[in-house]
Amino acid sequence: MMNWAAASPEIFLAVAGMAILLFGVLLKKENAALCTMLVLGAFAATFVMVMQTVPQTAYSSLFVTDAFASYAKLLILAGGALTMVLSLDYNERQGIGRFEFPVLMLFSTVGMMTMASAANLMTLYMGLELMSLSIYVLAAFAREELRSAEAGLKYFVLSALASGLLLYGISLTYGFAGTMDFAKLPDAVTGVDGVSTGLMVGIAFVIAGLAFKLSAVPFHMWTPDVYEGAPTPVTAFMSTAPKVAPFVVLLRVLIGPFGHVSVQWQPIIEVVSIASMLLGSFAAIGQTNIKRLMAYSSIGHMGYALVGLAPGTESGVRGVLIYLLTYVAMSAGAFACVIAMRRQGKSVERISDLAGLAKTDLPLASLLTLFMFSMAGVPPFAGFFGKLYVFLAAVQSGLWLLAIVGILTSVVACYYYIRIIKVMFFDAPAPAFDTRSASVSFVAIASGMFTLLFVLALGPFTGAAEAAARVLFG
Amino acid sequence: MQDGALPVSLGSYLAVAAVLLVIGVFGIFLNRKNIIIILMSIELILLAVNINLVAFSAALNDMAGQVLAMFVLTVAAAEAAIGLAIVVVYSRNRGSIEVEDVNLMKG
Amino acid sequence: MHLVLANYFPVLVFLAIALGIGGAMVGGSMLVARQMPYAEKVSAYECGFEAFGDARRRFDVRFYLVAILFIIFDLEVAFLFPWAISLGRIGLFGFFSMLAFLGVLTVGFIYEWCKGALEWE
Repeated sequence: MMNWAAASPEIFLAVAGMAILLFGVLLKKENAALCTMLVLGAFAATFVMVMQTVPQTAYSSLFVTDAFASYAKLLILAGGALTMVLSLDYNERQGIGRFEFPVLMLFSTVGMMTMASAANLMTLYMGLELMSLSIYVLAAFAREELRSAEAGLKYFVLSALASGLLLYGISLTYGFAGTMDFAKLPDAVTGVDGVSTGLMVGIAFVIAGLAFKLSAVPFHMWTPDVYEGAPTPVTAFMSTAPKVAPFVVLLRVLIGPFGHVSVQWQPIIEVVSIASMLLGSFAAIGQTNIKRLMAYSSIGHMGYALVGLAPGTESGVRGVLIYLLTYVAMSAGAFACVIAMRRQGKSVERISDLAGLAKTDLPLASLLTLFMFSMAGVPPFAGFFGKLYVFLAAVQSGLWLLAIVGILTSVVACYYYIRIIKVMFFDAPAPAFDTRSASVSFVAIASGMFTLLFVLALGPFTGAAEAAARVLFG
Repeated sequence: MQDGALPVSLGSYLAVAAVLLVIGVFGIFLNRKNIIIILMSIELILLAVNINLVAFSAALNDMAGQVLAMFVLTVAAAEAAIGLAIVVVYSRNRGSIEVEDVNLMKG
Repeated sequence: MHLVLANYFPVLVFLAIALGIGGAMVGGSMLVARQMPYAEKVSAYECGFEAFGDARRRFDVRFYLVAILFIIFDLEVAFLFPWAISLGRIGLFGFFSMLAFLGVLTVGFIYEWCKGALEWE
């Protein structure tokens, strides 16, 4: 008898999502805020359920719940919840406060949790599609606005292409290895005559598909446009949880089934990582729109995180997991500040709109400064430790080039992060922003506290990441 | 069918699938006219994968490939539905679905 | 390779016959019948009146909505066939799994119904 309760957090969340959908549509009143609260409640309950899961493999080894999956799921849930809180106020003010929004975010989260638990290429694909399909709709959610519709369209076309290529890779891997099971793939991979060409092509396609979702170079073209056009809470969402899920899948696939052929995929990851770091730091310099700037920043961050994957060691994976944790917190906080940028009821998003913010709104300016310093990797903020761990792992494995490029591009990236700080503190003040709601302040302050005080809680978080990383090397 | 007839070889199926995949990818990138054609190209890619999966499934004598092919079919339907919906929203705003008009954001 | 093609020989025969009959009909009438076209004879014959409107005009966008909804429910039913065939072997668990799946579809259906997606106006 199979243990069908292994996926109970996902099942619970999905059922809750459908219940909230029915509730919302049957109530027939304006109830976006109420539904968002309900979804947040469901997230909280799922969070508790994930914490209590026991490690096991279920559903004919399609699905695995181990410490690695749990770590990723908790991170995904936290990122989703933070950005959901951000959407509360923004959607209402923009007139897109419909109850489908939180429900779609919830379904996307279910997909990401499924990805984190995938023990088979089939589960991986289904989770990935559930995640992506919901985000297509979210990106085009402000349907009266041309920019949002265009963002949705662009993201849909390119992402569907990436899914198709990923799927083609899965089919080749399946055909040449004879199985889709992560547990059985290693035996197939180390056949008598080494790795077959077909299998290598398959792996390359899978990496390409996942790299697209991560917006790593050379699959990053969509990122700036979609980040700019999508409603800001959706942008915030896209830069947190949907980056974590493909990354943990990439870790699980490359370290697990393809761990002992790391010679084959290591060069790909190295090139992608270096290109992402370079593009993320240089292309961001000329940007005037803060959402586009954040897009390039997130491309760069994915490059740094990939530095930790390239060595394929336990300390590298631990570094990546810590990096993702700090990245989610910084990103959510920075986007909370971006959402707070409203003037006379309209959302503004140019960097020059931040001019002199320190004189009109010191708390917001200091929070944004904190996030910018952290993203630049200035100690003792959270972002520094993420970078420290991945670079250390690279150096330990002798990948000096990656570490050096990483540090150099961090310096370049400092330039545009600090430019924002300069605009806020030393430029002539622009008119003050509208008063921001408590929910936005809450996210900004919570993420700010985390970023600031991460250094104090370094032990527990590193321990959790280490326990999660150890699972992959079992 | 007489005995001893050669079945179509696995390689032929893979070749057809690869050709369809390439047609689909080119359809997305070289097409300068209509977004609906892009939707069709995406479907073509997914169907190419399905040919692969079913061919491998038969060659390996393993059901998993056919199961995934079923899933892919339904996912493709969902994807097509969402794609069409987004195109409808876009055309209402823009009044056109020409690929060259999708250029509001650049940089 | 030629053995494979031999299997498809009947198809070739069919093609040849179809081409032959079609060609004979069109060609025969061209050769045998007297051709005397005049304006009345070549005018459109569509239930007796001229066609109005262009056959390639735009469809109402509401057709797309119907099409979108149709695609989903049409293809999800593809799961029912393998399920129905293997029902004897998958037991109660398999049976209730499909009921759960249909339940999910029903939720979607209720949603679209309440949203008014099924109303034409």
